[in-house]
Amino acid sequence: MARVRHAAALAVLFGLLVALSGCGSQPGPSFDIVSGSENQPLEALVQEFCKERRATCKMTYQGSLDIGLGLRPGQDVKYDAVWPASGIWIAMFDSGRRVSALKSISQSPVVLGVRSSKAEALGWTKAPVAMADILAAVESGKLRFLMTSATQSNSGASAYIAMLSAALGSKAVITESNLSGASADLAARLLRGVERSSGSSGWLADLYLSSAEKGVVYDAMWNYEAVIKEANDKLRGAGRELLWAVYPSDGVSMADSPLGFVERGRGPEVKQFFDDLQAWLLSSAGQARIAATGRRVPADRAAPAKPEPDWNFDPQRLVTAVPMPEPEVIRKALVLYQEALRRPSLSVLCLDFSGSMKGDGESALQRAMEFLLTPERAAEVLVQWSPRDRIIVLPFNGQVINAWEGTGQPADQMKILEGVRTMHADGGTDMYACATEGLRRMQALAGMQDYLPAIFVLTDGRSDGDPEAFVNGMSAGERAVPIFGITFGDADRGQLDAIAKASGGRVFDGTKDLTGAFRSARGYN
Amino acid sequence: MTMTRRAFGIGLIAASALATGGYFYLKDTKYLRQPKPLTGFVGGEKRGFLANPATIAALRGDGFELNARQAGSVEMVREAQILRQDPDFLWPSSSVMVEIAKENSVPIRRAEVILNSPIVVYSWEPVVAGLEAAGLVRRQADGTRTIDLALYLKAVLAGRSWSELGVGDLSGPVRIVSTDPNLSNSGFMFAGLVANLLAGEVTQQSQLRALSGDIGALFHHMGFKSNSSGSLFEDYIAGGPGVYPMAVLYENQLIEWALEDGARWQRVMAGSAKPVLLYPAPTVYSAHPLISLKPAADALIGTLLSPALQEIAWSSHGFRGPLGSPGAAAGAGQPTIPEKLTAIVPMPEAKVMLDILQLLS
Repeated sequence: MARVRHAAALAVLFGLLVALSGCGSQPGPSFDIVSGSENQPLEALVQEFCKERRATCKMTYQGSLDIGLGLRPGQDVKYDAVWPASGIWIAMFDSGRRVSALKSISQSPVVLGVRSSKAEALGWTKAPVAMADILAAVESGKLRFLMTSATQSNSGASAYIAMLSAALGSKAVITESNLSGASADLAARLLRGVERSSGSSGWLADLYLSSAEKGVVYDAMWNYEAVIKEANDKLRGAGRELLWAVYPSDGVSMADSPLGFVERGRGPEVKQFFDDLQAWLLSSAGQARIAATGRRVPADRAAPAKPEPDWNFDPQRLVTAVPMPEPEVIRKALVLYQEALRRPSLSVLCLDFSGSMKGDGESALQRAMEFLLTPERAAEVLVQWSPRDRIIVLPFNGQVINAWEGTGQPADQMKILEGVRTMHADGGTDMYACATEGLRRMQALAGMQDYLPAIFVLTDGRSDGDPEAFVNGMSAGERAVPIFGITFGDADRGQLDAIAKASGGRVFDGTKDLTGAFRSARGYN
Repeated sequence: MTMTRRAFGIGLIAASALATGGYFYLKDTKYLRQPKPLTGFVGGEKRGFLANPATIAALRGDGFELNARQAGSVEMVREAQILRQDPDFLWPSSSVMVEIAKENSVPIRRAEVILNSPIVVYSWEPVVAGLEAAGLVRRQADGTRTIDLALYLKAVLAGRSWSELGVGDLSGPVRIVSTDPNLSNSGFMFAGLVANLLAGEVTQQSQLRALSGDIGALFHHMGFKSNSSGSLFEDYIAGGPGVYPMAVLYENQLIEWALEDGARWQRVMAGSAKPVLLYPAPTVYSAHPLISLKPAADALIGTLLSPALQEIAWSSHGFRGPLGSPGAAAGAGQPTIPEKLTAIVPMPEAKVMLDILQLLS
């Protein structure tokens, strides 16, 4: 009897929902979602629902760590919903418990996608592969990989946690005591295999694909199983070699992609809209569409994507997940990564001090450098330098007007910062002159192969010179150094885009938040 | 036929007299009595039960309208911030909370257990098959399965691997996860059960020192722990056997989930990864005592113990009654559960539990 009443209540509720969502009803709310880049392929699904409800939905993509940082007490949250790659980032940062109704939308393990011929040569297509096998391949120089920054992106953090966990033996989870000794040592040695880093998993996959088009073929990349599937769909379409999915037998990290509501006093309609959106994504119809992308969903909700044995993909295969450590342990593990274990970076910062930067531009640039070169401030958001990093700062206008070099030691950072403080905007603009000087100084550095190199060009205007001539003039070795642009004011994005594209870099918009742009850019180096 | 204005007027007076008389006649019956609004704090696992329209109607029928705010069981009996809000009642999820409330000088008028749900281990078919072969899990005559949890905990402490325990589908060391004992009652109950199993009896304060290393290690090696039973259950379902091979939760959560959507339950049971409840023998009961703090809330206890509300709690939400027996026989579309749990061990006393919480904080 109670069951009948329950069913009747559900029927009434359903009728109400249908009435609420019917045509000719009130337009839905404007609704802002902040999400990890790996959810980009699911945006169409979200927008479909929003369109039907006549709501204006906006999805903004950020690294999971940034999403978490944005939830710290005192932060002004600008979103109605969060959709990071893993719930752990919410548990770590949302101490004011502003996020509610958190539910996993899909799951995807973080795996190592290895170019098929390479995987075959390593004997990895026939037998289980342990982290120790990956280490042996890295140390014998047979394997290098792309991996996002563990301190900016969930896929990198997940791969890193799986690396730390592989040396645990009979213990199930990393505790503070594992952040020195065998676990940390194993992770550090594995991380020497990083060939390129980034702040975004989606961008990393794009880098792999665009490089393949240009004939630069990377060996491997750590990414979500579902992102590897998307990459393989494209590689297959272009008739290129696929990435073989390696699921380390020691355990993989599972991303649970939870969608949660952020209470910011917008009233019951907005909460209702969220509940309906979440229910739609979790409905059999929604889950079927999500499962078709290669994401894993519980079997009761929808059928999984078909296995694709030619790259070892089977979303029904049971994989053992590495348990997530306590939030405090993760926090410490991330600091350890940033300050000690990651491959050291070699960064050239080309700073535009041309006449057009006078006033606001100049002071925004000085503030950004204060942030980047003050260890305590950079550490708050985990972009601090490590003592092993090398920093080269080159202010320029029509030419390079000064130069400071140092390590990531606090004293060196201070020395560089003091130099930058003496600079004043004046003269013309030639960013190519600065980039050329940066490349020259990098090549002159002994042991350059130990570092992850990158050039960051901040500029606010049209530069003298020509991107094509600059790119054509680069040697093969110089072309392996990615150049990142950071725009300010009315910068000519076209010029920066051209050199970023040619070198496998990208352009960040620093117009609204120059400090934030520099911080994001650090994740790529 | 048209109605004259006079007839209409008489009709109005008659209707109004009837309404007034009717009101006075019915006003003290359950049909018209203004429900008494009561404010209190309730553990999150009873949210579904209290939000059920049938529950709301039955409570109204007895003259109650509950404004139940969600709070953790441990915090509701000891946080000044909550008690300062002058609640009419508290409805935590463990009898130990009544003792803790007394120790904190909470002005208890009456306290009685309304519902029960045992603490069980949620696992999955492929995992359980291995544990069964290894002798850790036993299938009972009624189709339910029991686990030798003391032995399993020892295997976790010893760092035994899944393959050593017969589970070839999983790699690495065996594990088990609960919610955070300091934040959520199911984790709190599990901490009590762990202490009892390690002690081999109801843990006394004098034994705690010797056990603290093992209790600490078990919870420490769970890694990240959810802050609510509801979210751990969601994660268990979404993560499957690879992520949550063994999770500690209330029995009623799976029953409630199965009842909520029968077709979904059929699909789950048709798949390869079926949820399985493992009953530790002995286990602990999560009792749900209603603590009345104001005269107005005293009668709420009787109402919640009425057959109508007990029936809703069982047939829609899977809560057993105050004596631990389920309601009418479970239907075919529901998880298999034992009619009666014979091996129940009391929780350690409040002082011991508070020390354990301290140890795990």
